[in-house]
Amino acid sequence: MIIFFTLVRREIKRFLKVVIQTVISPVISSFLYLLVFGVSLGSSVQLKSGIPYLSFLIPGLMVMGLINNAFQNSSSSVVTSKFSGDLEDIRVAPIPHSYIVWAMGLGGIIRGSLVAMVTGLVGMAFHYMQLSEFLWIKHPALLLYFFITGGLMFAFLGIFVAVLANTFDQLSAFSSFILLPLTYLGGVFISIESLHPAWQFVSKLNPLFYLINGFRYSMLGESDIGIGSSILVTLTGVAVTFAMASFSLKKGSFSRW
Amino acid sequence: MNALEVVDVKKTYKDKVAGRPVEALKGVSFSIKPGGIFGLLGPNGAGKTTLIASITTLEEPSSGDIRVFGDSVLSHPLKTKMKVGVVHQEVINTGFFSVSEILDFQSGYYGIYKNKERCDYLMQKLSLYEHRHKKVKQLSGGMKRRLMIAKALVHSPKLLLLDEPTAGVDVGLRESLWKFVYELKNEGVSILLTTHYLEEAEQMCEQVAIINKGELLYNGTPKNMIADYSQKKMILTMKNGNVHQFTESQKLGISDVLAKHHVDINQIQDIKIEEGRLEDAFSKMVAL
Ligand SMILES: Nc1ncnc2c1ncn2[C@@H]1O[C@H](COP(=O)(O)OP(=O)(O)OP(=O)(O)O)[C@@H](O)[C@H]1O
Ligand SMILES: [Mg+2]
Repeated sequence: MIIFFTLVRREIKRFLKVVIQTVISPVISSFLYLLVFGVSLGSSVQLKSGIPYLSFLIPGLMVMGLINNAFQNSSSSVVTSKFSGDLEDIRVAPIPHSYIVWAMGLGGIIRGSLVAMVTGLVGMAFHYMQLSEFLWIKHPALLLYFFITGGLMFAFLGIFVAVLANTFDQLSAFSSFILLPLTYLGGVFISIESLHPAWQFVSKLNPLFYLINGFRYSMLGESDIGIGSSILVTLTGVAVTFAMASFSLKKGSFSRW
Repeated sequence: MNALEVVDVKKTYKDKVAGRPVEALKGVSFSIKPGGIFGLLGPNGAGKTTLIASITTLEEPSSGDIRVFGDSVLSHPLKTKMKVGVVHQEVINTGFFSVSEILDFQSGYYGIYKNKERCDYLMQKLSLYEHRHKKVKQLSGGMKRRLMIAKALVHSPKLLLLDEPTAGVDVGLRESLWKFVYELKNEGVSILLTTHYLEEAEQMCEQVAIINKGELLYNGTPKNMIADYSQKKMILTMKNGNVHQFTESQKLGISDVLAKHHVDINQIQDIKIEEGRLEDAFSKMVAL
């Protein structure tokens, strides 16, 4: 237990030391999204479900904050360790791989949730000012579930990608060619009901779509897809990414860059 | 029980260098008795670091086995890791944390929660205490190396692996470092070290092993190695002013040499003998 908490403590201390970069700056970008899309453009967007666009956007931005930061936290933890070599300390110490995976998962959830929650609070303030109506969370327990599964999934994915990446470029290529498109196409800004059926089908292959809609359902009580499939897909996602992260630690290279 | 047993360890790196895989270790075996200082010597690229990395499980041997106090590092890594401390050849540069934070985390990795006493003791011993609030990048090279040594010792390992601990450390500090290593030895810690300073190895180590190109060339005491592989030089000044110089095996006594070269003892004015050194034996062996 002491070993595990040391690892978690290290993860948290690490991102708190660079809090401007890790927490404040993502919150500022969410703030800008809210301002530009939610408030300015949003007033002219009409969703079929009748939900105001601002309410629709807030859960999406929260997911974006959650997963980007969960991914960033674990991947940059691995990558900085590859530069400095301090992953060697951990690998030399009597620490089972599963501890490393869970500790980084937990670190990812904490940082991701911090950003997502601040984004949510800022969003709620906007919501109140704009629509003179408070945005209540419909299903708090479900929301907690999606915070945990979403955070874990992307923290685990971050470990996998960062351990297997041989250069910094490969890591950033993953972020910009895979993660970013998945986020945008998963429906952070749009509802798939407005898309052509072919694109709707493609969206449904994207696991992020289920996470985003899970968040939306938890907060607004409505989403593009049944809540059951959201729960199932995210749970499967956690299992799969956990296996990927464990595999990478077992087989991956820890040689320095 | 041996502190360390290396049994026919082979290691081939998969990443190809110049189009073919590198055979860094070609079947190395030796063992280390508990409580001594063992020197692992060899030229650059011999495979020393690879062997140390295999003991700490950073690298997995392609075949063979390594046992630490009887347990295999391959099948019981968590058990053996608890008993091993390692100072890597390359400095680990943990960017975010200060010296005392690093030692605190390091203790935590070994399941020790409040370890202030031990950490303070190590920082005092290694002259790091006044630098304890500095981050690694604010330390000098020698301080970094001392930090690495402190890190390796937080959990009081029974087997300490030192991969060139004195590289980049100034003369005065080197001496105090060796004194510290001696103290550890007297506390019962078994020590394996690599160094390119053969003089240090000759003084410090009860046992040495020489490896070159992944093969073990010698394993024994430095004394025997000198006797087996180096030569002594004998310079004779005769009464008539002639000077003779003989280079002979370390095993031959003075009278043997004189007899061999038919020197008349009564004609000798002066004898000067230069004993063989580990360095000579090493050079000879590695050049073979
Ligand atoms: N990760 C790696 N991939 C491929 N080859 C490697 C790797 N690490 C080491 N080698 C090769 O293995 C051989 C042994 O290297 P090693 O670092 O063990 O030598 P060493 O005895 O520690 O040398 P030095 O005294 O210079 O530290 C060398 O030929 C080296 O090029
Ligand atoms: Mg080396």
